[in-house]
Amino acid sequence: MSDGRTHRDTPFRNPGWAGNTGEFDLTEAQVRGDDYVATRPLDGGHASGAPTYPYLLAEKDPSAPLFEGPYRVRFDKILTRYPDRQGALLPVLNLAQELRGHISPETMDEVAGMLGLADAYVRGVATFYTMYNKRPVGRYLIQVCTNISCNLCGGDEVLAAFLEHAGVELGGTSDDGLFTVTEVECLAACGFPTAVQINSRYYENVIPVGVPDLLDRLRRGVQ
Amino acid sequence: MDAPKPQAVTLTIDEREVTVPKGTTILRAAESIGIEIPRYCYHPGLSSPAQCRICLVEVVGAPKLAASCVTEAMEGQQVRTQSEPALEMRRGVLEFYLANHPLDCPICDQSGECKLQDYVHAEGREHGRSREPKRVFGRDDFGGDVLFYGDRCVMCTRCVRFMNEMAQDPRLAVVERGNRSIIDTFFDEGVEGSPYSGNIVDICPVGALVSKDFLHKARAWDLEHTPSVCPNCSQGCNIEIHTRDNLVQRLKPRDNPEVNQYWMCDYGRARYEWLNRGDRIEAPLIRTGERDARAAASWEEAIRAAAAELGGAEGPVRAVASAFVSNEALVALATLVEALGGGEIVFRSPRTVGEIPLPGFEKLARREDLAPNREGAEALGMKRVGTNDATGGLESLAAHAGKLVVLGDELEDAGPEFGAEAAAYLYLGSYPTEGAGRAKVVLPITTFAEEEGSFTNHARIVQRYEPALQAPGMARPAATVLEALRAALGTPAGALAGRRGS
Repeated sequence: MSDGRTHRDTPFRNPGWAGNTGEFDLTEAQVRGDDYVATRPLDGGHASGAPTYPYLLAEKDPSAPLFEGPYRVRFDKILTRYPDRQGALLPVLNLAQELRGHISPETMDEVAGMLGLADAYVRGVATFYTMYNKRPVGRYLIQVCTNISCNLCGGDEVLAAFLEHAGVELGGTSDDGLFTVTEVECLAACGFPTAVQINSRYYENVIPVGVPDLLDRLRRGVQ
Repeated sequence: MDAPKPQAVTLTIDEREVTVPKGTTILRAAESIGIEIPRYCYHPGLSSPAQCRICLVEVVGAPKLAASCVTEAMEGQQVRTQSEPALEMRRGVLEFYLANHPLDCPICDQSGECKLQDYVHAEGREHGRSREPKRVFGRDDFGGDVLFYGDRCVMCTRCVRFMNEMAQDPRLAVVERGNRSIIDTFFDEGVEGSPYSGNIVDICPVGALVSKDFLHKARAWDLEHTPSVCPNCSQGCNIEIHTRDNLVQRLKPRDNPEVNQYWMCDYGRARYEWLNRGDRIEAPLIRTGERDARAAASWEEAIRAAAAELGGAEGPVRAVASAFVSNEALVALATLVEALGGGEIVFRSPRTVGEIPLPGFEKLARREDLAPNREGAEALGMKRVGTNDATGGLESLAAHAGKLVVLGDELEDAGPEFGAEAAAYLYLGSYPTEGAGRAKVVLPITTFAEEEGSFTNHARIVQRYEPALQAPGMARPAATVLEALRAALGTPAGALAGRRGS
């Protein structure tokens, strides 16, 4: 620096909690646009077969038939992208989870049958990735990061607040079937701790006092 | 076109020069000159994933340590297996393995055969530094004969690879990830019913997979190992008989790349209890009066009585052999029958429908013939009779009026009147049986586990076995007994000489 100051002299200001930026009041459509929300999942146009769209959660059914209608189109499309069926396993499991909400042993079995893979192999893969729910989850899957950055900024307290106000045990689902609260290793949102992922949506700078309000919004169906 | 000849590479391992074919891994090259590099995941019969990281060695000039089980030996390479960086790294790996290992050596079935124990003893740290409580995974029943102790597992995945590559029946998988990883079956479907699953217990380098049958039965260091041949089918897998207190405790496969590589089937592995049976014929018996009135005799008396019986009787000689006795005994029987004037020898042997092959090593199968020496008996011109469960077929012999010799066959279904019409009836066997009731002389012989001998397998490979147990009482190998009898009859040795040469 030309005036003789070094970067060390620049006073450090902790940004702290940025406050409610208003984003909680926006709908998915407002954030991403109507076209995106309306067309993305079902027309087979999206590449990844990405999981857990919040607006689809209500329709999830553990016994939904796998890959019929538009889902068949997406399933076939996934298969075209990989040289062998083994490669298609992850996106197909994603698609199955999108339909059923979780990957049960029966689902693994069915997917193995559809892809011609060994049951045990599918199980090994499905259990490796924590993003696959091995048990049924509530309408909102709340994943609280308690890794280092979030932890230093009170991740444990945020987690405790979610458990308390949603009335669940860690990993459990509330009686009304709305909330499942889990702890995750890292959400890769270290810039704005504490980070919480609710379904596919990230919530950053979460503090314990904000938790009841957040849960109320979710109860009212406002994301 | 001929396959290209393997080129040789010469490298130095621990200051010793060794020349190996191109493509050999450092681990194999070291092994060829007697340097053992620690390994868990590497098994010569399976693929190498370089997963366990214990076989790290220093290659001079390489930026970091190399996993010797997958690193190809190169020309002029200098490898140090005992250098400070290599030892340090291996110490670290061992410490890592022990972080959650329960160290339940005093009760672990693998104690004495555990590679973790061996390597920690050889090059691990003297004292553990971990102060945290260990995590507990618990145990799982994999079905069949296999139990899984999750805490002892070092995730070498040998068992998973065996089921995938050799059994080609992928029922095991690594589930969960990172520090929660564990070997599991696909929910309630275990390895039950998989015909070669017992091998995963053999190849587990630690005590994670144990045999229910052997669990807490004996300590590994108390067992005596005797090289032998599996008697449960005509494949003739090379095995070790593990004995203690003169009882067979378990059967383990022994390497033979031509016959069974490193494996054996569960069927053969499970069938050893008959060798431990206590109801043996322990002394030569001579019938004194009517049936069931028998007196124990010395071998000398018994041989004399048998020789007098056979020598004095009239009529043609016929014999029943068993496909469970050695080649030596069969030859001795054939010689004796020849010396007595010659006659038909028949044998019975159990047979199943269909073979059970090991897909990954096609030379190995549980063969249709469930007797170890059918091929040997047939090579001597003996004829197989009876049904597939080794019964029947002896009707014409039951009332045979000439001389009758039975060797080894238990005559279970023959009935008490078997041999009632015979002019001379001699029975050589291991176990008391109803069919021997009319025999004038009963001679106790050893089982294959109590004698030295050989079996001829389905591919006509003759394989020798050694005595693993002490014979009960006065039982002697059948070959010895038959030779003594032939000598007592005064017939010349080598009556079969012309035939054997053919």
